[in-house]
Amino acid sequence: MEEKFSFEENMAELNKIVAELEKGDIPLEKAVELYGRGVELSAVCKKQLSEAKIKITEVDGNLPSEK
Amino acid sequence: MPVVTVTQLNKYLGSVFRGDRNLQGIMIKGEISNFICHYKSGHMYFTIKDSESALKAVMFAQAASRLKFVPEDGMSIVAAGNIVVYERDGVYQINVTDIIPEGKGKETAALEQLKRKLAKEGIFDTAHKRPLPDMPKKIGVVTSLSGAAVRDIINVLSRRWPLGEVYAVNAVVQGQSAPDSICAGILSAESAGCDVVIVGRGGGSSEDLSAFNSEKVAYAVYNCKVPVISAVGHETDVSITDLAADMRAPTPSAAAELAASVSVDILSDRIRIAEKRLKSAVSSVVSEKEEKTALAGSRLSARSPENLLRLTEERLENLRKRYGFAFASYLGRMESKVNEKIRSLDNLSPLKVLSRGYSLVYKGEELISDSDKLENGDIVSIRLGEGGVTAKIKDKW
Repeated sequence: MEEKFSFEENMAELNKIVAELEKGDIPLEKAVELYGRGVELSAVCKKQLSEAKIKITEVDGNLPSEK
Repeated sequence: MPVVTVTQLNKYLGSVFRGDRNLQGIMIKGEISNFICHYKSGHMYFTIKDSESALKAVMFAQAASRLKFVPEDGMSIVAAGNIVVYERDGVYQINVTDIIPEGKGKETAALEQLKRKLAKEGIFDTAHKRPLPDMPKKIGVVTSLSGAAVRDIINVLSRRWPLGEVYAVNAVVQGQSAPDSICAGILSAESAGCDVVIVGRGGGSSEDLSAFNSEKVAYAVYNCKVPVISAVGHETDVSITDLAADMRAPTPSAAAELAASVSVDILSDRIRIAEKRLKSAVSSVVSEKEEKTALAGSRLSARSPENLLRLTEERLENLRKRYGFAFASYLGRMESKVNEKIRSLDNLSPLKVLSRGYSLVYKGEELISDSDKLENGDIVSIRLGEGGVTAKIKDKW
């Protein structure tokens, strides 16, 4: 599921999960579920980071270039 | 013909000079000679001359302190100031307010003027400066794609921010068409959805900065909807584009570093920190649950039937004890009361009265307290203090 999302989105989701867990006062099942998702997300984020390759688009401006 | 004094004449000439707009706020072109900086006051005295004429000049310390260079003999300059009469000596001179080294003098003066104008229009206001995005999705680069700058930028970005996208727009950076080309490039990057734009020179020190000092480019930078980083990079001069940009970088590589403020290393750290926090948060949730369970268990066992029974028994035993105590003390109290009664009973006992000499007379079972109850010949029993007697009534009175 996470691969569909951008690194930023996954990272934001991860941070949200951390914040929710840190708030505490949640059922154990929910905590375990969140933790599982968090671990998954961090793995996806790491993967996305290591596999990222910069995309380059080169365009000519509206005016003709000198060269 | 009226006769006037020298002082009057010089004063008059002074006022004539001050009233002549051709002599006030003028720019004089020439070469500096006889330069003296008065070491104590800081005032500068010199002569401005050309091939045919000379003009005395003075620049007072306050104005002189604003100069970014030290004037010297032989230097070609344009001096700005007012022509005044020095009344004491009867000479006129220029009161210099600013000196612009010549050569680029005219251009520099025009540039200064444009800077002042744009500053007045708020193009350089710090309030308008926008923060750069933390993690830019698309980074626009407007420069000459044949130059070294774009390579430098891509190198830095692919190392620091491979998650991003570079949108490089080729622009003419010098010559007549440069300002329009740079403006078009900025617009193109903006409409392509870039969230930050780097505008810079193509690289190579021979290029001139004039396009980056144009009003058009300044406005294009100012009006750009996303933050602009300038990478015009010149050691001595700050270009108008630098002043209008949200952020100024000394080189294209530095501009790329600014654009990718959050590097891959920082992001890896962030992931690690998030993982750590995740672990400690979940374990604190778990231990919190454990504590709650333990607490509930102890509360539950406190309410178990066995426990309740034990408690009831204890209470009962307690009551029994209290009852025992209470009863014993009641008995004691009763006993002492009875003893007391017995004592007072003793005091009232007829035996006590009898022991003092009184007697009780019975006829049968009846205690006789009136002689009318008896007849002569009746047999009575008389109870004395000790013992008793039986007697027969002989007479009564």
